[in-house]
Amino acid sequence: MTKLSRDKTINLLFILPALVLFLIFNFYPLLRTFQLSFHEWDGIALKMKFVGLAQYRHILTQNPAFWRAMGNATYVTVLALTVQNGLALLLALLVNREIRGDNIYRTIFFLPPVLSGIVVGLIWKWIYDGNYGILNYFLASCGWQSFANYSWLSEIKTSLTAVAIVHMWKGFGYGFIILLAGLQTIPRELYEAATVDGADAWQQFKHITVPSMIPVFTVVAILTILGTMQIFDLIYSMTRGGPAGHTDVPITRIYEYMANGEFGYSTAMAVIFGIVLLSVSVVQIEASRRLNNK
Amino acid sequence: MSRRLLYVLMLSLLLPAFASCSKRASSPKADVVIWHWMTDRQASFEKLAAEYEKEKGVRVVFETYAPSEVYRDKIRAAASGKLLPEVYNPLGDKREMASFIKSGYIANITPEMEKGWAKAFYPKPLSQNTFDSSNEFGVAPGIYGVPIDVSAIEIYYNKDLFKQAGLDPEKPPQTWDEFLEAGKKLRSAGIQPFASGFGEGWLIGVFAASYEWNLLGKQGLIDTYKGKIPYTDERWVRVFKLFDEMKQSGLFVSGIATMVNKDAERIFATGKAAMALNGSWGVNVYYTMNPNLNYGIMLPPKLKEARYPMAIFGGEGSSFNFNPLSPNKEKAVEFFKWLTEKNQQIVLATETRNIPANRDAGADLPPILKTFAENINKTFDPLPVIEDWRVTNIKNLGLQAIIIGEKPSAQVAREVQAEKERQEKDKQK
Repeated sequence: MTKLSRDKTINLLFILPALVLFLIFNFYPLLRTFQLSFHEWDGIALKMKFVGLAQYRHILTQNPAFWRAMGNATYVTVLALTVQNGLALLLALLVNREIRGDNIYRTIFFLPPVLSGIVVGLIWKWIYDGNYGILNYFLASCGWQSFANYSWLSEIKTSLTAVAIVHMWKGFGYGFIILLAGLQTIPRELYEAATVDGADAWQQFKHITVPSMIPVFTVVAILTILGTMQIFDLIYSMTRGGPAGHTDVPITRIYEYMANGEFGYSTAMAVIFGIVLLSVSVVQIEASRRLNNK
Repeated sequence: MSRRLLYVLMLSLLLPAFASCSKRASSPKADVVIWHWMTDRQASFEKLAAEYEKEKGVRVVFETYAPSEVYRDKIRAAASGKLLPEVYNPLGDKREMASFIKSGYIANITPEMEKGWAKAFYPKPLSQNTFDSSNEFGVAPGIYGVPIDVSAIEIYYNKDLFKQAGLDPEKPPQTWDEFLEAGKKLRSAGIQPFASGFGEGWLIGVFAASYEWNLLGKQGLIDTYKGKIPYTDERWVRVFKLFDEMKQSGLFVSGIATMVNKDAERIFATGKAAMALNGSWGVNVYYTMNPNLNYGIMLPPKLKEARYPMAIFGGEGSSFNFNPLSPNKEKAVEFFKWLTEKNQQIVLATETRNIPANRDAGADLPPILKTFAENINKTFDPLPVIEDWRVTNIKNLGLQAIIIGEKPSAQVAREVQAEKERQEKDKQK
């Protein structure tokens, strides 16, 4: 055996455990998902019935609830992309100015993302509750008596936004940490030179910070889109998709079909949903590449 | 680093991954393993299992997996891997149970039941574990499960809050109009009238179902499920309209459309609502939450125009099924014969405040549970056909939409019928 091929063998052996685990726990389930999506199967029966693309056709043309759920997830995603990431950027800019106790702020801002979604959902459900929630108690004691028994999660007007607020509260810490890391990689000299040239804070932000941060913005945006579109635990613990489907998102629909023994159909939904997410990510990456090249 | 050392290192990294793929690590030495979801009964189950081991030398282990959604997922995953324990319950409807039976995961216990075991039980819960010869699922007729307790879903009412609103606590509303009137009185006394876990589709469906039976009767429901009566029929529209009337009369507690039953139980137990639709298991739940709660129970108030008797959801409380693939199936059946004997059933009923499945054990129940037990014969009869879950789902979502004032009852009826027609068309393809 030559030295080169021996090295290659040793290298392969080193990556073998990870490769085996990846094949078993990622690649095989992915293949099975595709396979299942072409079959009708209740998860129990010994045989699956091949139905070709029928389930895909049904989802695309005769399942308006799935697309409404997609619309709900998109609404939360748009809010997360703008409000959540805007707040994350603002806080990252503030902490980046070497204020006192910046480490404490970092810890505090990063606390919500590390909490369990179910726990966060249950806590906020209690805060929003119309019978004994502290939000209504606070609003009523401030004089807004009409909110004394208002149920934020059961009203059409507020349910989805109320869930979105919790999602943003829970998620902005991630964006904050990534954006802060990005800000810290921009050389100080650029700002010093700009200051000498008479650029004000806004001009520095517009012409130095933003262009330097485009790759970071792309990463944060992709993570936000993927994370938000796949929102499930918060919704499930707060509203279960209610009232009357107003907070339904694609994963709650997929879960519902699976819980009712429609394994084939729900995996077809999952594949369609995956393709949508993949397409959005590809568009996002391409857009950012073009912006970067300008 | 020598090559041998490298291989050992690789192997040690791979071993833990494969170790997790090994057979189910069930409790050592257990003869019978039972998977269940009833956390509140685990202590009583363990006590009885210990007694049985002392008596018969057979080790029975109860393993709890909760909440019930997690339990259901575990059962399905175990079935796919043929790793089911001796005893379990798929916790699904008849269609799902039929699928388990047809796949060979649930044993037919008719021969055991015919040896006299069946006589011990209330007929209703046993019939819910039975597939007759006309069943639509193609399952061989027989008994496939054993009930260990029975349940019924009725309306609990808080006697103290009734008194506070000027209502007679000993005469709860009997008719729909009285029910609405009581709701208005409670509301004007500053008391929230009615709570239930209507955010969970099944419970809102249960409340509606009482009135479906009341207005359409058994045959009417069968005809609907078979597509002979449309959901736009005036009796169905009336069922949907009841929710609108409840809303207009201010009966619902705040947030009922997304409320889960645990929250509804807490609201009723803490006196924040005067009435609650809940199962007989609520007796134990309310006792745990507030032992001094002064309450009674009533049937859902009947409709004046209804032609059929009021019926309630219930019968089978918790049942168990036997895994025919297990070599210890016989031991498991023997244990359940012992568990459903009068003495063991009394222990379970007393300690967990549930209605025993054994008729003889029900004599010394506390008054509330006794009333529930007396109403077991009012529970829905099993139907030879069931509605497609998607249609039921659209119906339950429609009821939520009525509660939040989004849709009128006629529109909900049309949407349910449209879904029914869509499913019928899909079935014909």
